[in-house]
Amino acid sequence: MILTIAGRELRGGLVTPLLWVLLGAGQVVLAWVFLKVVDDFSGLGADERVASLSQELALNLFSIAAVIAMLAAPLIAMRMLSAEFRDGTYDLIGAAPVHLYAVVLGKFLGVVALLTPLCLLPAANLTLLLGVAHLDPGLFAAATLGLWLAGLMFGAIGLYAASLSAQPGAAVLAAFGLLLLFSVIGRAQDLSLPGLSLFAWLAWNEHLLWFLLGAVRVSDVAYFLLFTGLFLALTHRRLANRRLA
Amino acid sequence: MVMASVLVGGCHGAAQSPSAVVVGRLRAVADPLRVFGKSPPSGYCAPVMETLVRVTDLTRRFGRYTALAGLDLTLARGEVLGLLGPNGAGKTTCLRVLSGNLAPSSGRVEIAGIDLARNPVGAKRLLGYLPERPPLYQDLRIDEYLGFCARLHRVPRAKTADAVAQAKCRCGLDELGRRPIAKLSKGYRQRLGIAQAILHRPRLLILDEPTEGLDPVQVRQIRTLVRELACDSGIIFSSHVLPEVQAVCDRVAILHQGRLVSGDHLATDRGPLVWRLRLAPPADCAAVSALDCVAQASPLQEEYTRVVLKPDQGPEDLARQVVAAGLGLRELTAERSDLERVFFDLIGAQEPA
Repeated sequence: MILTIAGRELRGGLVTPLLWVLLGAGQVVLAWVFLKVVDDFSGLGADERVASLSQELALNLFSIAAVIAMLAAPLIAMRMLSAEFRDGTYDLIGAAPVHLYAVVLGKFLGVVALLTPLCLLPAANLTLLLGVAHLDPGLFAAATLGLWLAGLMFGAIGLYAASLSAQPGAAVLAAFGLLLLFSVIGRAQDLSLPGLSLFAWLAWNEHLLWFLLGAVRVSDVAYFLLFTGLFLALTHRRLANRRLA
Repeated sequence: MVMASVLVGGCHGAAQSPSAVVVGRLRAVADPLRVFGKSPPSGYCAPVMETLVRVTDLTRRFGRYTALAGLDLTLARGEVLGLLGPNGAGKTTCLRVLSGNLAPSSGRVEIAGIDLARNPVGAKRLLGYLPERPPLYQDLRIDEYLGFCARLHRVPRAKTADAVAQAKCRCGLDELGRRPIAKLSKGYRQRLGIAQAILHRPRLLILDEPTEGLDPVQVRQIRTLVRELACDSGIIFSSHVLPEVQAVCDRVAILHQGRLVSGDHLATDRGPLVWRLRLAPPADCAAVSALDCVAQASPLQEEYTRVVLKPDQGPEDLARQVVAAGLGLRELTAERSDLERVFFDLIGAQEPA
């Protein structure tokens, strides 16, 4: 049943222009960053280079891709619940013999399936340098994994926001608000609480950074999985409560 | 024409076998229809008195507003229950609760003995639901949509194609499988909504205003379809259109302000016996009551009198006796249908003279 719902969401996502617009726009931005990094790097002398080309590409390309995924996830997720509430199509699922967890997981798998091509875009760009430059495939694999895990978390947050409102616009704004909060919360440490690292730990970008440096740490993987699970559980709770509202 | 295939028995390999149809007809002959003095509509199968749905003391509140208050309902297999009521009476809320889309504030819903709150998946396996707005995905084609609905309702993969074909055939959509839903007219969307509700042959079918937006020909075909489906299922059918409910339903539940004001006590054959008289000069009710053919006379507004005839008497007897008694007969009209009169009486609306 999970796959049935995920398949329906994937099909719906592929036949509407949103995913293709996001992929196209994302590729334009990434191509520009890619060119800029390669151009800057090749313009420097060997003694002026502070990092390898692989590190420069991983840090710049994948961090921009993470921001693109952060913007895309709420837009993809909104149509899975919020738009269904608005159009009345959720009644079909609500009256079907389907467990609520299957609905949540099916929708989430749909979001992930649609976000994954976006997460693979940086790696696709890097294939242009195959055979031309010496790159570190392990570093890019770690960065791609980190980006994908971040995408899971963004998708879960987007889905939770989509479960909050029957107005897709409001759901997108709520998701952006949550994601921005998780982006800037690490700065609270710099402002007033230098000794407390909780806020820094809460920020997704602090964890993604380690992946972009080539280090796959269990704590960072656990962070992304923990918050993905938390927001999926909140989505489940919200859908269950919706019957009571 | 596609529409022609909607008629009963128009689908090859449809839901019931020919022998089942014959048995249904024989049952209909043996067991008169309890519906406002009408002869059984085509496709009628007599209810099999096995309780399919039992709603006990159902209450649903939205904040301070009580949409449903202490509702008790039962539905037997093979029975069509019409849910009537003015806007805001609680019909759609009731159907949403029965479909599992809304949780009741209190009370209990059982479908074939399965508690909807305790075992929602088990109970929902038995129901098909057409909401007020058909739940259609605009980005899919008809076949894709029905295939998705079949999987959602756990129709075995090997039987999906057959189930989709039959549902399309019954709803007159069999030549439109490749058409995108976004390009369908309102009538076809409604039919597709019905198709998804009957696709898995549910034991309980919940239809919220299924004929909304359909033309008269389509309305008649949907009525026939509902009667045909009632051979296998119990059906709860809401509508604003009183004649439609009267034509299709075995029983009527009238809701008003969230309360059930009438259940299943409308099955008497009084319609043709109730008449309206207008006399000039206006006469006392006692004079009318004194006529041999009159069982009861009561005054209405202006110069009208409502007259209930004795069972073996007709309007010609009434007219003859009024004239013979020297009462000036100016108008003699049949009373409105029994259901319509009861409906207005129960919801307390002013009855026009």
